[in-house]
Amino acid sequence: MSTNAAKNLFIYGSLLCFVVLVILTIDTMGKLDKRAPEITEEVNAGKKVWHKYDCIGCHTIFGNGSYFAPDMTKATERKPKEYLKKFLLDPRVIKADSAMPKLGLNEQEADDLIAFLDWTSKVDTNDWPPKPILASAIAGKAASAGQALFQKHDCSACHQIQGIGGAAGPDLTQVGARRPDIDWHIRHLKDPSSVVRDSAMPAFTDMNDEELKALAEFLITLK
Amino acid sequence: MKYQSHQIALNFYTTSVLLFLVQVLVGIIAALQFIWPDFFILNFNTIRTLHINSLVVWLLMGMMGATYYVVTEESETELWSVPLGHLQFWATVIAVGAVVVGYIVMGLNPQANTEVFGTRLLNEGREYIEAPRWADILIVISVLLFLLNSFMTVMKTRKFTAVQGVLLGGLTFLALMYLPGMFYTKSMVKDQFWWWWVVHLWVEGSWELIAAALLAFMLHKLLGTDVKVLAKWMYIEVGLVLFTGILGLGHHYYWIGTPEYWLWVGGIFSSLEPIPLLLMVWDAFRTTRETRVPVQNRIGLYLTVAHAIFNFVGAGLWGVIHTLPQVNKWTHGTQITTAHGHLAFYGAYVLLIVAMIYVTVPSIRGDKEFNQSRGFQSFWWMTISMVFIVITITGAGMVQTYMERLLGLDYVTVKATYNLWFWIFRAIFGAGFLVGVLMLAADIFSIGKRPAS
Repeated sequence: MSTNAAKNLFIYGSLLCFVVLVILTIDTMGKLDKRAPEITEEVNAGKKVWHKYDCIGCHTIFGNGSYFAPDMTKATERKPKEYLKKFLLDPRVIKADSAMPKLGLNEQEADDLIAFLDWTSKVDTNDWPPKPILASAIAGKAASAGQALFQKHDCSACHQIQGIGGAAGPDLTQVGARRPDIDWHIRHLKDPSSVVRDSAMPAFTDMNDEELKALAEFLITLK
Repeated sequence: MKYQSHQIALNFYTTSVLLFLVQVLVGIIAALQFIWPDFFILNFNTIRTLHINSLVVWLLMGMMGATYYVVTEESETELWSVPLGHLQFWATVIAVGAVVVGYIVMGLNPQANTEVFGTRLLNEGREYIEAPRWADILIVISVLLFLLNSFMTVMKTRKFTAVQGVLLGGLTFLALMYLPGMFYTKSMVKDQFWWWWVVHLWVEGSWELIAAALLAFMLHKLLGTDVKVLAKWMYIEVGLVLFTGILGLGHHYYWIGTPEYWLWVGGIFSSLEPIPLLLMVWDAFRTTRETRVPVQNRIGLYLTVAHAIFNFVGAGLWGVIHTLPQVNKWTHGTQITTAHGHLAFYGAYVLLIVAMIYVTVPSIRGDKEFNQSRGFQSFWWMTISMVFIVITITGAGMVQTYMERLLGLDYVTVKATYNLWFWIFRAIFGAGFLVGVLMLAADIFSIGKRPAS
């Protein structure tokens, strides 16, 4: 191949690739809005909060960004919004050993940011992030009614047992040894902040007395 | 000094190396924050912004210095306007300084990052392109003045060499690809879509063109290889870089809300991306082997070949291991990407600019023989440290992928417990890297000034 032929191949070949990219971009732009929910004013305001506090300087979103803190794409999918709001306003009141500092968000900004994260959680991301293999395999295998309720209410979104589960709330591996009283657990599930000051856990008001008792019985077996 | 214009190149190089030093210092702070999040007065996000922005800016400034050197050397004339070159240098330094001050102010008081004309005053909150809009405009003006000066210099003597063509073509492509990052979209999906146009088409497109042109320039200058042969292979390399790289952009569009066909486009094209980088390694070895003249600037040649090798290993191999969608589904958003980022930037661009410095600065200062031993020591301190940094982060990424993605453990648990030792080793090797950069900084002020003892 002569130098000139190589030069022409480079110029025209690259231009062709770029034209294909532009065509694919136009096609993609036409499809994006159908793959995501409508963007309300609140969602847009939340996106601006995301940029204002440079959240991407620590977190990833759609898997892109820094790798210092958890990915936020599906943050609202499993974590209760009450928890997220309290955490955003002052992270270390909620979780003393959190690496996240208090950034000074006001209530409105926290609400908007949660609305934005709710939007990203509903975007069609071709099934990313994938469901973890082990956690999916053990889901649905419950030894007792209480454990079934633990799974039904997705308690492991925030709590760990034997290393599996989220780290947003306290580790429950030995909660039965720490809190052996069934009544305490029932009161806690009905209204967490009545027994734990500054608790960010939502009240589980949709459980009846029988269910509350079954779940509390399961919890005190953890020791 | 053969041309007055070379003083401008030297100014750019010196600022580059000083910013490199800043980048590594804040990098070590960031590494320590992985172990102690409250280690420093500024939070991790600000430190990380400084770490990646100083990287991009010092590489760009290094490329500008290199370009001013190359166009004057190839066109055999002074720059079209030497005063404009000096002005563009100082304007760049002042603009960069203002942006850095803005980041620090925002880091100390996030509320200062107010909205002005629909855009953020101090920090745009978008990775790599955090610089606010007013700074974007200043950057574009600076780059346009730089391009104008370079093009007009070529037009002065009309020596249209292949190296100048690809170099300036790459720089023009670079300037154009900054524009897709300069508008606001309400959709985070579209935001990231255009953001990748900037980031990907820079580092896997225009920057690789610049690298290929500078590689050919250095091989010619060091070994006196026939320009025609170098030019042919350079065209083949840059051709393959863009054939694979432009549509390789698809590997960033797997999981951000874009249609499924990008899994095919990205998977196929980005799997081919290492080929041109391997060709560059072969090119560097072939040219070196075939030369019959004794090489005076051994460190220059050493760094040139090392750049080609680590460009292939870091950008090529460490990229291709997680580029297929079947793999990337599990590794996306983990430390595997960080490991790739570190080795790719080091091999493809850090070593490129450092090589250009060792190849051109001695001749700027009068082509005297110079003491090369510190250059070799600097190279080995940096390279061994970087290889270990990358091994530790790759290890952290593998543990993270296995525990978080496959087993379902929490991100924070994995980071704080299972990956702790990786962070400790990474910080130690970061200190080793700093030693190498300090040696480089000492050399930029001294090489070529005194004859070798």
